[in-house]
Amino acid sequence: MKLLWSALVLLVAALHFGRAWDGMLVLFGLCVLLGFVAVLLKQKMPAGLAVLTMLILGFTGGFFAARDAVPGRTDPTQVLLDTVPRLLTAARPAPATPELLTPGLLLVFGVSVVVSVSVARKGNSLFAPAVGAAVLYMSGALLTAGRIDPHGLVALLLLGLLAGGWLLLERRGPVAPPVGVVLACLALLAVVLPSVDAFEPRKLVRPPVTDVEIANPLPQLASWAAMGDTELFRTRGPEVPLRLATLSDYTGASWEAASTYGPLGVVAPPDLPVGNRLDETSVDVQIGALSGEWVPAVGRPRAVSLSDAMVDPNSGSLVLADGVRTGLRYTVRGALETPSDEELAVASVPADPSVRRYLALPRLPFSLAEYARQIVVNAQTPYEKAVAIEQVVRLDRRPDAEAPVGSSYARLETFLFGTNGDAGAQAGTAEQFASAYAVLARAVGLPSRVVVGFQPVPADASGDRVVRAADATAWPEVYFTGWGWVPFDPVSGNGSGPSAASKREVLNRLASTTAKPPTTQASLPPLALPSVAPPVAAPVVASGFKPLWFLAVLLVPLLLWGLRFGRRLRLRFGGAPGAWSYVLDVLLLAGRSPSVHQTAPDVARGLGSAAARLAVLADRAAFAPDPAPVADAWSLARETRKVVRRTVPWYRKVFWSLDPRPLWRR
Amino acid sequence: MGAAIGEGDVAAFRDLHTRLGDAVEIAVRGKRDVIDLVLVAMFAGGHVLLEDVPGTGKTTLARAVAGALGGVSRRVQFTPDLLPSDVTGTSVYDPQTGQIRFRPGPVFANIVLADEINRAAAKTQSAMLEVMEERTVTVDGVGHAVPDPFLVVATQNPIDLDGTYRLPEAQLDRFMLRTSIGYPSVDDELDVLRPGSGAGRISAVQTVSSPREVSEYSRRLSLLHVADPILRYVSALGAATRSDSRLRLGASTRGLRTLVRCVQVYAASRGRHFAVPGDVQDLALPVLAHRLVLTREAVLSGVTTEEVLADVVSDVAVPKPA
Repeated sequence: MKLLWSALVLLVAALHFGRAWDGMLVLFGLCVLLGFVAVLLKQKMPAGLAVLTMLILGFTGGFFAARDAVPGRTDPTQVLLDTVPRLLTAARPAPATPELLTPGLLLVFGVSVVVSVSVARKGNSLFAPAVGAAVLYMSGALLTAGRIDPHGLVALLLLGLLAGGWLLLERRGPVAPPVGVVLACLALLAVVLPSVDAFEPRKLVRPPVTDVEIANPLPQLASWAAMGDTELFRTRGPEVPLRLATLSDYTGASWEAASTYGPLGVVAPPDLPVGNRLDETSVDVQIGALSGEWVPAVGRPRAVSLSDAMVDPNSGSLVLADGVRTGLRYTVRGALETPSDEELAVASVPADPSVRRYLALPRLPFSLAEYARQIVVNAQTPYEKAVAIEQVVRLDRRPDAEAPVGSSYARLETFLFGTNGDAGAQAGTAEQFASAYAVLARAVGLPSRVVVGFQPVPADASGDRVVRAADATAWPEVYFTGWGWVPFDPVSGNGSGPSAASKREVLNRLASTTAKPPTTQASLPPLALPSVAPPVAAPVVASGFKPLWFLAVLLVPLLLWGLRFGRRLRLRFGGAPGAWSYVLDVLLLAGRSPSVHQTAPDVARGLGSAAARLAVLADRAAFAPDPAPVADAWSLARETRKVVRRTVPWYRKVFWSLDPRPLWRR
Repeated sequence: MGAAIGEGDVAAFRDLHTRLGDAVEIAVRGKRDVIDLVLVAMFAGGHVLLEDVPGTGKTTLARAVAGALGGVSRRVQFTPDLLPSDVTGTSVYDPQTGQIRFRPGPVFANIVLADEINRAAAKTQSAMLEVMEERTVTVDGVGHAVPDPFLVVATQNPIDLDGTYRLPEAQLDRFMLRTSIGYPSVDDELDVLRPGSGAGRISAVQTVSSPREVSEYSRRLSLLHVADPILRYVSALGAATRSDSRLRLGASTRGLRTLVRCVQVYAASRGRHFAVPGDVQDLALPVLAHRLVLTREAVLSGVTTEEVLADVVSDVAVPKPA
């Protein structure tokens, strides 16, 4: 009856916990039932050994399940340890893959093994199911930052089940401890549940990242331009530009996308801090003719309803390993950086090594460097420089869908300085406009990058915004300290970013200057600026996790030993009763705890003459009206300990001095 | 607690107790535990109910105790036609003095053996039990005190034998403890059977004490120290019998008090001037079992009060000397 009830409590808790994963709920229930097999095993061997056996079996199973997902690792503990940070960096809810399910299932299994064995022990209270359920519930709450059970309904259900069990099955036990546990759980819930400042275990791990080579979508702009009215996808939501890919690295020949992606749900901050003023917005997307790995997103993505989407933490580009396909629907929520014009006017740009990557211009030709210098010669603030470059790039150049593709220095020089005879001179697609802007901005010390995306489109009658191939574009972004990445639009001068009015104001101030292309352009040898972009390689596994483990492994035994030593010292000077209490500790450790009705002499029977004498002494000290005669009770206790230890199996001796159980004995 | 009993007093009592026990054991072989219980009841000022089939040495035991004590012992064989006055005594007319004179009945003795008490009619039984409680016999408005010490050893045949009137539950409460002698072990029985052995011969029992000495100790032992944890333990046992679903009637406070009284004597007989939890456990069965009443369901399912009590004792946590 007790077992059934415990199984029910755990089943509810485990199924609730299992909701942190996307599917495979049945496995969690199965694990609870498997854990209860330990009860059968316990009838054949000591409870401790039964638990150990079951856990070893469980972990072995977990290893084989998770092994395939961690290539190149054969050490079982490493494989299993690796699954935890993986789970903590997975999307919410976590996809139901073997390596992500493993830690959860192992937890459920372990809890149910321990709970079932402890419930099956005679005379044990029904405490264990409560603790087990609490562990599972808390784990679920931690894994989802409290979102799994926002109104506490499951918690109430569990409390009801527990209270019912206590009332119906165990009326004799004291009421205080279970009530205490329940209250403690509620208090802990109150800490964990609020979503504002919730404790976030994900902060403790560094996310694993995957190396993916994905084609740069920039050249595709030309082909999209040719496709014209083809519907790429349609959205529902506010009128905002949608981003497809962010390109941060420039080699001098082309822009390259980041190659390291992690699962969304990562809380690792990007390499440059996010802006102070953020607007959250959410967009529903339905894919049409769009193909490829890149996933249209809005701003800096916070959540996406695709469980296997991966994100580059620095740029926020979303990718789907299998690629998007027609008919795919999802919702993406992101944060837009929205600084005001006044704030930008006085904003500065970072110059420390953290932005090297966004300033890198390997082997920059002198013509481009000189051109950039001339553009900003009168500009004082970074913002003025940015606006001036935008103005100059747009000036006299026309968008041309037929223009040659490319964003190499050579193509940009033709785009910027070419005369009418050259193909692509003074004309280009958004690719050239954005690239030219970004290169010139970098040349004057503005951290910049290129974004491939889609212009905001007006909604049709049904409220859908149909994004067509012709809406594809690219724009540059400049990073301002404290305000994040700010988009500029050298193609048309409209769109997002700073308002046109503020730009005009800046331009009026700078009116006196307009840069002229240098006369000696291509003949000059390329002026090599020091190349500063270091190869960025993210570490592959969690390394911030190890010191915690290591410390716990070292500190916990030390703490236990200290507590046990303190107890022993206290008993040592507690006279005969203290010495007898020590003997009871020893018996507990030896697995020979006397039952409640055994008197001291009963207990001492069979433990040798020293124990018998000590029992009499202790009884006398406790129950006689006059003080007991002086006797060396402690040496009798130690003698008894020797006798007891002789019969103890080796596996109990291993943890003899660290076993915390005597600390709970009164 | 100035008059509390010290270790010296207890040592002397233990000697006396051992002497008495040894003396009785000459006549009753191999039943030291029962002898000890009877002696405990005597020093605690109570009475004993022996429940046993005929021929197991009940009478011999009672007479041997009387012999060792040096007191007067009488035996009353209870039969269905026995009258109350046959037990207590009657007033008779003395033609020589021309006066009414009280002629004491067989209860006027230190040790009274009430044999097969459950064969007598209810009226006679209650007269006997009243004497046990009051320790006086009132005839024609005059009270006559029975001698001190006064120990009634009643025997009762198992209920299922023919021609018996079962003692009412309320009356059972008057007995301090109930036990049975049982058959002796093979060795002891051989000893008894061997021609020329002293077993069963009351004349072989030496007188080793006096009624006066017993009275004196009985009075003083009531001061023996029983620590609070022990009293709490006794109380917990009582509470556990009252909440047990198999019992219609748990141990009364009087029953628990009696248990404490017995524990005091028992502890002293073990040479201790304080009681320990083990004393309570040893005496719980003989002192409490006959005071409990089973529910009908429990009776039908064949449980006995002894079994229930054993369960209760094994469930209640014993006070630890830590």
